[in-house]
Amino acid sequence: MKGLYSILWSDNSRAHLLGAFLGTLAGLVLLLSGIQFYTDIKLVLSDNQDLLDPEYIVVNKKINIGQTLGFSGSGFSPGEITALSQQPFADKLAPFISNAFPIQAFTESDKVPNFSTELFFEAIPDEYIDIKSDEWKWDPEEGIIPIIIPQDFLNLYNFGFAQSQGLPQIPKGVVSVLNFRIRLNDSSGNYQDLPGKIVGFSNRIHSILVPHDFLTWANDTYGYFEKVDPSRVILVSKDPTDPAIIKYIEDNGYDTIREKLKGSRLNIILKFIISFLVLIAGIIILLAFLVFFLSLQLMISRSSQKIKRLHKLGFHYREISRPYIFLLLILMIAVTSISLLISGLFTRQMAAMAEQWNMAISSSLHGIIFGTALALITLISLSNVIAILISTKKLCK
Amino acid sequence: MTIRLEYLIPLPLLGQQRGESEVWETSRLNFKPGLIYLVGAPSGRGKTSLLSIIYGLRKDYKGKVFIDESDISTLGEKEWSVLRKTRLSYIFQGLELFDELTAIENIKLKNSITKHKSEKEIQEMAGRLGIADFLQRKTGILSFGQQQRVAIIRAMCQPFDYLLADECFSHMDHKNGKLAYDLISEECKIQDAGLILSSLNSSEEIRGSKKLIL
Repeated sequence: MKGLYSILWSDNSRAHLLGAFLGTLAGLVLLLSGIQFYTDIKLVLSDNQDLLDPEYIVVNKKINIGQTLGFSGSGFSPGEITALSQQPFADKLAPFISNAFPIQAFTESDKVPNFSTELFFEAIPDEYIDIKSDEWKWDPEEGIIPIIIPQDFLNLYNFGFAQSQGLPQIPKGVVSVLNFRIRLNDSSGNYQDLPGKIVGFSNRIHSILVPHDFLTWANDTYGYFEKVDPSRVILVSKDPTDPAIIKYIEDNGYDTIREKLKGSRLNIILKFIISFLVLIAGIIILLAFLVFFLSLQLMISRSSQKIKRLHKLGFHYREISRPYIFLLLILMIAVTSISLLISGLFTRQMAAMAEQWNMAISSSLHGIIFGTALALITLISLSNVIAILISTKKLCK
Repeated sequence: MTIRLEYLIPLPLLGQQRGESEVWETSRLNFKPGLIYLVGAPSGRGKTSLLSIIYGLRKDYKGKVFIDESDISTLGEKEWSVLRKTRLSYIFQGLELFDELTAIENIKLKNSITKHKSEKEIQEMAGRLGIADFLQRKTGILSFGQQQRVAIIRAMCQPFDYLLADECFSHMDHKNGKLAYDLISEECKIQDAGLILSSLNSSEEIRGSKKLIL
């Protein structure tokens, strides 16, 4: 069949085919490396414990001027809480509850200066709290109110307030033994004083927390404020890198401490870059495919006289299309193996570079890369083979 | 194989007949197996048309052509390929050789799909027609007479029930024409095949042939 091949290939559009070949090669390398890189980064992110531990995210509504002036509430309606809890990234969530009666705290000791302040309490179920302490429980018999305050409060006092006012700095341990009392007031001027005790400092929740069952009991007993929607919600997400979290929070006008969602941010940026890369690669591959397609069709139409002659001699159109299909397949196999080779070398290079930055990424191609390459090439080859068969058949009519 | 024509006339010749043709618009013309038919006529009477129609290359005709009782207008691409590989061979007036191939490559191109002749047989035929020395040359640089002989050998490289030869000796001298004819008729005899030969010279005589005037 040498004769047949040399006849039909003598009219080949070498420059076109070379262009198409290089284009497909570039597109494929870009695409495969992009997917490889993305898979790697995802693995690196999920290896990173800080970023991927279940994250406790406190969500509140953005305060706008309407809320300041009292036109609109800043609380989450039951509907909004249900909607949030149904998001795929929210594994569980709980609204904050707050005191529905006035509270004061005051000191009653000779050792510390007299001090009295209005106060608020909030409570969430224990499972959301990062402080594990035996004292963190409400026992009505004992009547001691355990309190958790934010670590930042103590820092503010110790490193800001105390220093500037010439007051003594207080270590954590000492805070816990400070005696002070909490006064719970009801609507008719009655009150009850209970001892309070700071049992821990939270890094997670920026609020003054008391046990959930204490606050429930106290609200039942003393509460008389008009019932308002909870203004904050704590939610737990197994994958804080999920870009959907940031998106949902932003789309609904909510707010949170952004630091906690840096993984999510990073992921969004990464996804954007990779999508862009894949898009470019896709366009390149599409164009290369078109050039391939057109070059082959051009080759066929340039050889139309020869094809007709071959048909006169008794060649079936399938026999005539064989050299074209063979050429296509050679090019496709070459383009696939070369692009896998380049992507593989590239990956090894990247892995070596990443190692210097203490990042362990795979130095060999992932299975998905081979799968993608194979699928794409099969698609391009198949559509071209069909086109070749159709156009040679047409010439043999 | 039998070939039968019924009221056949190529469209360009429609209305130009004066009743003397033994082929065109005759109610029934049978080509019988194993016989030699010499179709003689001056230019423009449709010699090539007749062969082309039988070979399935031309479809602009009125009337019907039957090969083994099947109407050839109903045959598909695949059936024509099979017929042209196994039952009908054609020496084209325009030769239909590939100039960029050598003479031997042109011959082997056909033989590659039929596997009918061995290398030795091909060399032998070339030797008989006196073109053995030209086999390795590109067909494009051979003289037309030499090219005709290449086309003749190529047409032998397949099994056939009928050989259609369209003015295939036109550019050969008498001696070479005789050699070529002998080769063809021998092959026809071996294959027990019919031969339909067209010739410009209607007075030409070939022994044992049936003459048909177009």
